Order: sequence, then C-alpha cells, then structure tokens
Amino acid sequence: MMLICVGLSHRQAPIAVRERVAVAPEQIESRLRELKALPGVREAMLLSTCNRVEIFAVAESRGAGDDLLQGLGPVAAQHAARRFEEEALRHLFRVAASLDSMVVGEAQILGQVKEAAAQAQQAGTLGPELSRALARATSAARRVRTETEIARGALSVSSVAVKLAHKLLGNLEERSVLLLGAGEMAQLAARELRSEGARELLVVNRTPQAAEELAREIGGVPSSLAELPALLERVDVAICSTAAAQAVVTRKMMVQAAKARRYRPIFLVDLTLPRNVEPTANELENVYVYDLDDLERVAAQNRDLRAAQVGRAEEIVEQELQAYLAQSRERTAVPVLARLRAHADSVARAEVERTLAALQGLDEKQQKTVQAMATAIVNKLLHAPTSRLRAEAGEGPLADAVAALFALEGEPPQPQKEAGQKSESAEEGTVLPLLRRS
Amino acid sequence: MATILVHIALLAYASGAAAFLTWLVRPDGRLARAGRLLLLAGVVVHFAAFGVSLGIAGAGLGLSAWKGGQLFSLLAAVTVAGYLVLDFRYELPVAGAFVAPLTVAVMVPAHLVASSERAIAPQVSHSLLLFVHVGAAALGTAVLALAFGLAVLYLASEKQVKSKRPGRLLARLPSLELIDHAGYRLAVWGFVFLSLAIATGSLVSREATGATFPFAPKQGFAILAWALFASLIQARLVAGWRGRRVAFLVVAGFVLLIGTYVGLLSAAPVLQGTAA
Repeated sequence: MMLICVGLSHRQAPIAVRERVAVAPEQIESRLRELKALPGVREAMLLSTCNRVEIFAVAESRGAGDDLLQGLGPVAAQHAARRFEEEALRHLFRVAASLDSMVVGEAQILGQVKEAAAQAQQAGTLGPELSRALARATSAARRVRTETEIARGALSVSSVAVKLAHKLLGNLEERSVLLLGAGEMAQLAARELRSEGARELLVVNRTPQAAEELAREIGGVPSSLAELPALLERVDVAICSTAAAQAVVTRKMMVQAAKARRYRPIFLVDLTLPRNVEPTANELENVYVYDLDDLERVAAQNRDLRAAQVGRAEEIVEQELQAYLAQSRERTAVPVLARLRAHADSVARAEVERTLAALQGLDEKQQKTVQAMATAIVNKLLHAPTSRLRAEAGEGPLADAVAALFALEGEPPQPQKEAGQKSESAEEGTVLPLLRRS
Repeated sequence: MATILVHIALLAYASGAAAFLTWLVRPDGRLARAGRLLLLAGVVVHFAAFGVSLGIAGAGLGLSAWKGGQLFSLLAAVTVAGYLVLDFRYELPVAGAFVAPLTVAVMVPAHLVASSERAIAPQVSHSLLLFVHVGAAALGTAVLALAFGLAVLYLASEKQVKSKRPGRLLARLPSLELIDHAGYRLAVWGFVFLSLAIATGSLVSREATGATFPFAPKQGFAILAWALFASLIQARLVAGWRGRRVAFLVVAGFVLLIGTYVGLLSAAPVLQGTAA
C-alpha cells in the first residue's frame, strides 16, 4: 500500500488550465466514488480549490497513479505532477500548512483540506490510512500557525488598511466609515470594513449623482462634499481616493475636526496620487494618516516577515512528517512481532500441556507454577529480539530475518489469552502500513 | 514554612516570566497559557504563605511582626492577582510579559535581602483601620501598577502606529482603543483604593501620633499622586482626554506613588510613633 498524489496546482499550470480541470463541489462525491472504483485504489480524497486540483489516494501500486490522473481528464495529464509515498505525504503536509500556497501562510487552505476530507468521508472513500495522514498533517499545520508568524500581517494595501483600523479602533462594529471618492481600491477597503461590521458607510463624491450611484452600489449613504468638515468630526475611518489635484482633507480641517472629536481617534487612509490628505495632519494628536506608500511598506514588511518564517515552518513540517513516518514504520514492524509472539506462545502452550499430562497428580498451584515458568522463559527469550525489532521499526534486515528464521511468513498472529502476557492490538496487527521504504 | 512557600511562589513567578518572555519571541499560544498557569499557581502559593505568616504572627491582624519586605511581597502578589483578572477579561499576555518579570524584580529584594521588622505603635498594630489601610494601599498600588504597564504599552505601540512602523509589539497587542479603555478603568479603581488608603492612613496616623497629616515624603507623594489621578479622571470625564495624554498622566501618577514607598523606606516610619 502506498500514498499517491496526482494533480496540478498554480506551480504546474496557469489558471486557464486549472479552471478547465477544476471539479465543481456538487460533482466531488461522485468523482470520488469513481476514483475508488479504479483497480488497486483503496482510498481517495479530492482537493479542488482555485489554486489546485489534486487527488490523494492510497493504492496498491504506483501504476494506479496514471489511472487516477485519467480521472482528472486529458488536459490535466499534460501538466500534472505525480508524487508517491514519502514525497506525496510531504506534499500533503506542506499543502495543509499553507507552504505550497500562492500566498504562503494564507489561512483558507487548511479549511479546504478539512472540507475535502469531510467530502471523502461522506462519499465513503476515506479510510484509516488517509485519515491518519490527514490528522497528522492538520496537527502540523496548526503547529506552524501557532509557532511561527507565517500567517501574520495582511499582504494587500486594502487589507493592511482594514487591519490597521482594527488595531487602532478595536471592534469595528458601531464604527462609522467615510468613503471619499470612487477609486477601486478605496471601494474594496470600504467593502471590507463594511463586512467587518462597520455600522455606517457614508459616500461623498464630486457630484451628488455620482455619490448616490456609488452609495447604492456598495450599500452606503450618499452625502455632499460640502458636508465634509462635519463628516470628519463624526466618522472613525475615512478612505480617500478622489482625483483632485490637491489635498481635499487639509491639516486645518483636521485641527477643527479634532477639537470637535474630543480626542476620539480618526484613521485617514489616502489611496490616491496626488495625495488627498495633507500629510502633516498625521502630526495631530489622535489623527493617523496612512498613504499608499505607507500601506505598501507595511504590506512589504509582512511579506518579508512571512518569507523569513518559511524556514522554521518547513522545519516543523519535516519534524511532524518524520514522526509520522516513524510511527508508520513501527506499525510495519508490529505484524512480525505479533507473529513471533504468537508462535512462541503456541510452542510454550503445547509444551506445558505435554508436561502436565506426563506429571500426573500435580495440584492447581503446581500446575500454575509450570505455566508461569514457561511464560517466563518465552518472555525472557523474546525480550531482546522485541526491543531490537521495535528499535529498528521494521526497517532493517532483522524483521525479514526473524520471519525467515522462525518460519513466520503467512502465519497469522494468534490472540493472547494467557494472563500476564502482552498482546499486540488487533488493529495494529491488521492495519496496512501507509508507507514502507523500498 | 512561610519562607518555603514564598520561595515556591517566586519560582513559579520566575518560570511564568520566562514563559511570557519566550512567548514574546515565539508567539506560541501554549507558552502564554503556561505563563498564566504558573502565575496562578504562584499567586495561590504566595497567598497561602501570607496566611501561614499571619497565623504565626499570633492573634488579631498580626501586622506588628511584619518586615518591610513583606509589604512589597504583598504588593507583588496583589499585582499578579490583578493581572490575572485583567488577562481573563481582555486576554493580554503582553501585559504578562511586563508584570511577571516586574513581580520577580520586586520579590527578590523583598525576600532575599534582610530587612528589619517595622516597629509599629502598639495602639495601632492590631487596629482594623491599619489593616484596611495596608490592604487598600496594596490593592491601589497593584491596580495602578497594571495601569502603568498598560500606559507604557499604549505609548510604545501608539508610537509604532504614528511613525508608520507597526512591529511585533503591535501585532501581539489588542487594539489601542481597548488598551486605553482598560488602562483608564484601572486608573479609576486605583484612585478609589488610593483615596481609601489615604483616608484610613490619616486616621491611623492620628491614633498613633496625634497628627492627621504629618509632613513627610510618604504623605506628600501620596497626596500628589492622588491629586494627579483625580485630575486625570476629571479631564477624561469633562474634556474627553484619552490616548497618549492619559497614558502620560498614568505614568507620572505611578511614579509619584512609587515615591510614597521610597519615602516609607527612607524616612522614619510615622506609624512607629511612641513605640520607636
């Protein structure tokens, strides 16, 4: 059994290809059932987002990879990447941790991975192997988010403005926002602020008609330019993007506004060139002015910060991956141990029965003593081999050697019933290992 | 026994401080949680130490056997308790990174440096008024220490916003509005406790020495601090002051309050009275 990942992402294919390959949400379950019906495929999960269409599957051989790829259509095959075993697992971990995202550190991908897992569960194509791998990948992603700053800071000018508004004013509910002008970036920022719960969105433009039209479009209230000084006394955030050749919001205007505001802070976001807000207004107490350059500089800082955190995030992913692989390998070793234990127990049991039959007249206590002696001999003999096999995690030559020496191949493990004897769990004895190093 | 408990508390505070300071460098939520739990454990053990200490001191309120350092130890414990309440309300691990090391810095000299017992006039040593005075002073100082911490954090983070260089500190803090609001509320509560401490202190002083307001650095600083906090509250309510100017006033007020304790240690204690 091996993990296979086939598909394409923004790294392999442009958006024109990705949109042709993308699977609509309502088709995912049926597509998953088709994938699981392919020869040798045991489990399957399909991750289809704006930036990637990838299938993660557990299959009996590498050959299933091509069949799985066919499931994505002929266009995908030309661009797709195929990953197997450890490489596929590493890819899953990196995707969940947002290290393979177009915007590294973005938060949506982890939710999308979980959603894909839920869809596979719903379709009945998610088995123990993929579940275990997904659980560990999710845990690694959470560690990356809490232990690094990879997700810190907004990256676009409009989202930096919204973040700063939060930092200054806290909860934006019950806050009032002024949109001065009709620049696209300003509209975007205003919409974001509105979606964050801003109570009121006031729209001012050169002409009342333009203001009314824009207000209707973005769900605001139109107001006239003549009211600007009064509005600056009222609002908490003002986003400016007029085409005026000189400052529309002057320092003098803000001095007047600040007096009326009684020290309430105001955040002025200037998103145009030439600038709409006189920069010296930032010197006034509780008045904060950010222009395009300022916002872009913060965004660039955040990008640098994220980039600086990638190394640490990769380390965490690798740690989690290696821990998962070690567990997988230990699971691989368990069947040999279980068989060895079952073989030894059955030999001991048979010898005890023969001895007890030969020694007639032993009382119950004496019979138990003989049984305990046999058990103790088995335990002592198996202690060192068990430790070595566990330490080797089934990866070295010992597992095969033990199987050959004791003729354990194909011998199913017997359940342990003797008191005081350790037994391997039924699950460990039967679970197929996700990965086995070749 | 009390000493062992105090040392355990100190160890918990120091570990909490280490957890919070590490959190500043590596913002792992588990570190902040560990810091909170360690401070909580420390403060519980610390108050238990006070309980044991008072029990040993004998009947009544037992303040007569207190050493000078124990007052600072009490201040540290109340400050940590206040921080935990604040953190529960506003979730402010950054303040923890400020409070926990400060607590250790206060606790170490308070307990490791030998200090003489305070000689307290016998007529007030078991007085309820003295107990209320010390309690209110400790609570007021602790609350104002927290307000001071928030004011410093506000000034530092506001500077980052104003200079358009938002950094790690700002990223780890809640909004400036919330810090300002929380700091002001603490200042109001600190003012209330300080008023109570001054009022009861004057009554205790009259009992011990006959003078309601003896002229001494301790009383002088206390009155100045009280007047400054009163002005701050007035300015906020009437003129709407907030932000930087309120933060500066809180810092100045707390510095004056520290002067009260310097006065307490450096000058002959007023409460010594006839027992001196």
